[in-house]
Amino acid sequence: METLEIIRKAIIEGQAKEVEQHVQAALDSGMKATTILYDGLIPAMAEVGRLYEEGEYFVPEMLIAARAMKTGLGLLKPFLVEGNVQPLGKVAIATVQGDLHDIGKNLVSLMLEGAGFEIVDLGVNAEPQKFVDAVQQQQVNVVAMSALLTTTMTRMKDTITALDAAGVRGKVKVIIGGAPITQAYADEIGADGYAPDASQAVNLTKRLLAAS
Amino acid sequence: MMTSKERWLAVLHREKPDRIPMDYWATPEATEKLLRHTGCDCFETMADKLHIDYLVNVEPVYVGPPVANDADTFGCRFVEMDYGHGIYRECVYHPLAQYDSVEAIERSYSWPSPDWYDYRTIPQQIAGKEDHAVRGGGSEPFLIYCRLRGLEQAYMDLAMQPEMVGYCLDKLFDLAYENTRRIYEQIPGRVTFSYIAEDLGSQTSLLFSPETIRTVFFPRMKRMMDLAHEAGVYVFTHSDGSIREIIPDLIALGIDLLNPIQWRCKGMERQALKRDFGEQVIFHGGVDNQVTLAFGTPDDVRREVQDNIDILGQNGGYILAPCHNIQEISPPENIVALYEAGYTYGQSS
Repeated sequence: METLEIIRKAIIEGQAKEVEQHVQAALDSGMKATTILYDGLIPAMAEVGRLYEEGEYFVPEMLIAARAMKTGLGLLKPFLVEGNVQPLGKVAIATVQGDLHDIGKNLVSLMLEGAGFEIVDLGVNAEPQKFVDAVQQQQVNVVAMSALLTTTMTRMKDTITALDAAGVRGKVKVIIGGAPITQAYADEIGADGYAPDASQAVNLTKRLLAAS
Repeated sequence: MMTSKERWLAVLHREKPDRIPMDYWATPEATEKLLRHTGCDCFETMADKLHIDYLVNVEPVYVGPPVANDADTFGCRFVEMDYGHGIYRECVYHPLAQYDSVEAIERSYSWPSPDWYDYRTIPQQIAGKEDHAVRGGGSEPFLIYCRLRGLEQAYMDLAMQPEMVGYCLDKLFDLAYENTRRIYEQIPGRVTFSYIAEDLGSQTSLLFSPETIRTVFFPRMKRMMDLAHEAGVYVFTHSDGSIREIIPDLIALGIDLLNPIQWRCKGMERQALKRDFGEQVIFHGGVDNQVTLAFGTPDDVRREVQDNIDILGQNGGYILAPCHNIQEISPPENIVALYEAGYTYGQSS
């Protein structure tokens, strides 16, 4: 099996140690970091997303695959920075104020990262200003918000209002997700998009940025 | 007129109750708000006013080693998170997160014992409550496992370290089993239900593969169900989300009631559930908590109650309740509409 295929397979199967070993070996053999990223990591995570959407993979399999991908990405990062490789886009992501439930947010982050986006992880319980600051100071082009609770999801609207008030709403696409969230709610609060799971969040983000 | 207990039992026996029983699940903040709205000074008065057929919950008293206010008996630690109109507790310290093998856990961790609980007050807890069904015992170990290991690690363990999951779940199920057995022993014949629960669904699919669910969860849950049935106790099973694929398995395991029937989730359409499983299991819940109760109008709630009674309650086999704890964001008017509509419409069906 060729190196990239081994790397892809190890990511899909969630074998972090193997990914680490083979990514390192590929770098040592002189393979370009961008080749490993675009022909190894990214297609592997696309396959993981497909397996999830088709009901072959579930959250545990997706998590271990994403963790394995992240191990490989960690090794590539210094080379990507050095080569000034541009990400597909920059996404500021967090759970909204009052919400500590972050497994969904983390999974979306990992899937976006595995698709070639740069993530600005604002963590949990993020007040609207934190998103505004990220847009103003870190040039993000997507704001992604997550909420598990009906009692906290209404804070998403506060963030959009704050982005508006700061005059930066037009600079970013706003996407939302989480158990009680629906497309109707996204429309109601003026978000640009909603995705029901981490895999579809990747497609949504790509679509929104392509259209902008 | 039937008592609350008779009403629940009639549904369980597949007989016609005088009206559809109505259960109540809510956070303390939502209940406080509803008490103020209805002008009632205590839950029992309000429950009578709204015709809620509430259950009496029995549990032992903790008498084990001291536990800090922000901790539980397993050594998990919690923070109280303020969401603006109330609080919830969330686990932030996971005592088993540091271990990478069963051996390491065995060397260093002490599991709680059923002897840390005093069961003798249980008969007093039901004294004077003869008109109500009683809930006691049961299990939800993977929920505890997630706190012990941290949610993401716990999920990854299912795929990477099944032996660790199995070892811990056995410990947790053993504790739940013995706890439940001792509760039954205190009040023989008086426990109506045990909640034998495990959250297995997301909004759109199962959280774990059917194979994982069938090998890791179901055999252990079955042991709990057998204990309940041997004691003449009904099995109440809760799993949020889209779980249609495994409902036949749950029925084969022996569940009596299935909660919460989140019909807005993928694959959980009410007509199909009633058609395919209505003769084998009793539905409990069904009043949507993510959209209708939280953001709908009282008319929306009334319509939904009517639909639920028409669909899920056709030829009986339905207990009306919210899909999980009503949250503070749900207007009290909506909650009143739920029970008023259930009371009115539940008589004629």
